[in-house]
Amino acid sequence: MDVSEKDELRNGNDTTVNYVESANNPPPDWRVSGSNPVSDSYPTENLISSSQMMETLWYDPANVQAVGYGGFNGGGNPSSSSSFRANIDRSLETGWSLPNLLPPKGGNGMFLPNASSFLPPSMAQFPADSGFIERAARFSLVSGGSFSDMMNQQQPLGNPESVGLFLQGQCPSSEVNVVGVAHNDASAAMKETNKQNVPGSGNVSEDTQSSGGNGQKGGETSSKGFDSKKRKRNKQNAEADQSNRSQQSEEEPDNNGGGDKKRNDEQSPNSQGNKTNSGKQQGKQASDPKDGYIHVRARRGQATNSHSLAERVRREKISERMKFLQDLVPGCNKVTGKAVMLDEIINYVQSLQRQVEFLSMKLATVNPQMDFNLEGLLAKDALQLRAGTSSATPFPPNMPMVYPPLPHGFMQQTLSCMGRTVSSPLSPPINGGYKRQEANGWEGDLQNVIQINYGAGDVPPDSQAAATDASLPSSNMKVEP
Amino acid sequence: MGSGNNPIYTGVPEKDVFALHFLQTLSNLRTQIPFSSPDKTKDRVKKIKKAAYVSMARAAGGTNRLWSRSLLHQAAKRNNKNVRLSRRRKRVTWPRRNRRDPVEEPAAERLRNLVPGGGAMETSKLMEETAHYIKCLSMQVKVMQCLVDGLSPK
Repeated sequence: MDVSEKDELRNGNDTTVNYVESANNPPPDWRVSGSNPVSDSYPTENLISSSQMMETLWYDPANVQAVGYGGFNGGGNPSSSSSFRANIDRSLETGWSLPNLLPPKGGNGMFLPNASSFLPPSMAQFPADSGFIERAARFSLVSGGSFSDMMNQQQPLGNPESVGLFLQGQCPSSEVNVVGVAHNDASAAMKETNKQNVPGSGNVSEDTQSSGGNGQKGGETSSKGFDSKKRKRNKQNAEADQSNRSQQSEEEPDNNGGGDKKRNDEQSPNSQGNKTNSGKQQGKQASDPKDGYIHVRARRGQATNSHSLAERVRREKISERMKFLQDLVPGCNKVTGKAVMLDEIINYVQSLQRQVEFLSMKLATVNPQMDFNLEGLLAKDALQLRAGTSSATPFPPNMPMVYPPLPHGFMQQTLSCMGRTVSSPLSPPINGGYKRQEANGWEGDLQNVIQINYGAGDVPPDSQAAATDASLPSSNMKVEP
Repeated sequence: MGSGNNPIYTGVPEKDVFALHFLQTLSNLRTQIPFSSPDKTKDRVKKIKKAAYVSMARAAGGTNRLWSRSLLHQAAKRNNKNVRLSRRRKRVTWPRRNRRDPVEEPAAERLRNLVPGGGAMETSKLMEETAHYIKCLSMQVKVMQCLVDGLSPK
């Protein structure tokens, strides 16, 4: 394979075109486009994969070397091409995911990683043999220096899947692409094919850029058939695709829906559709997966200004949070609408704040001296908590003696917070006595006026408290967190 | 109340934590005022209320949450004796070049006034903070209710 053959191919583009038209399916397009696309404008990684794919394409076992470009020269070899095509079709049908991500000049850097991440398992059905890949590599060499450069620089994607990806992405689905392929400007053809393919791919967002739109404008009529088929496949692949870089789950349905919509749009000519599609492509121009941005695809019939896209994202975020709040605020399930919901939330927050105020008033009156005894309150409170959480079980009078695990843990936590290790002897008889001792310790250390007020408490003093007293180190009652 | 399978994280500690903090703050209150406590009910109420909010803010995550942070800062400003921040931060919220300005949302104005620190938040962030704030508020209310029930003469 050398460049001469490529030239021949170009000359014989008419046959190719005819073939493509008759085939009326993507594969031939690929093949045609496969020869050209490699160009300097594409990242080396892409080219590597593409070259591999192309090798695959061109070297059909039935066709041997003739396929190269020779097969397509001046009437080529219909039988071989058909068999070749059959192979391709089969491979295609396996549902290659959307590679389309061959980005135009702009987003070169990330293509390769994306492509490899997209490969769905189904791709493996492609006639994968090492020889295939080699042929693809060789093919790339044929098409020009650029391929070889890429081959040298990058590790070849040694999987047919990538080839398939490239093929898929390349599928131009219109004569324009074919013609473009015939032309020597491989890059242009690639771009066009990619552009056309982009709309179908719902998954990768960074690729879209402007390619899809332009491509569509170029060859709408004939491409429609191709596009729909391809998009169908792409959509299936898209769903199987796990490499969805979008960070919002809602994007997936958006993308898929967008892909579907686009397909439908193609089939049913809609003046708005094409514009929207192209606009969508441009709308996603700014997205860049490596930056960690959130990729959004404009929905059909929506403005595609980047501002409006961001606005939409923001609105969706807000509505998502509103839904979350709705679950939180009791009695808001029936309410719909942002304004009413917001009112409900505000009312709820206000009521909660009022409750706090009311309860603090009550506390102030209940305990006029404000001598809040930490331990005592903890005991009572813990008990109350327990009672509040579980069904009412009558507590025995000496409640502290019957500490359920919760308060016990609570006390322990309290104590540990205070910088004290809870010693095991504490365990069951955590009682007021002990606490009293601790309180004394605190007072001693912090001059904290904690009145040991067991007025309402039923805790009998415990002699064991004395034992613990000695072990109490100076307390460190933390009041700051 | 767990955060669930929610991308919005609004986990709230158990009641115990709230109770602990509240009681700590209350007992701290006692130390601040002389023994001959000024017995104006209003003052007491105010103090307790403030203690409640501060303790709630602490229990809810200290300075990790925007609303709690701003709440603590407000409290610290007013009364430096009661509330101490471990590390005084320069500002509670980042300067207003937040993205809130370009996007106006008149509907959330009232919410901003209610939630501490809401004035400098984006609307979506405001929603998140509100959710967490509601959870903590309800928790605090429960704790206080328990306390009142426990302390009230039987």
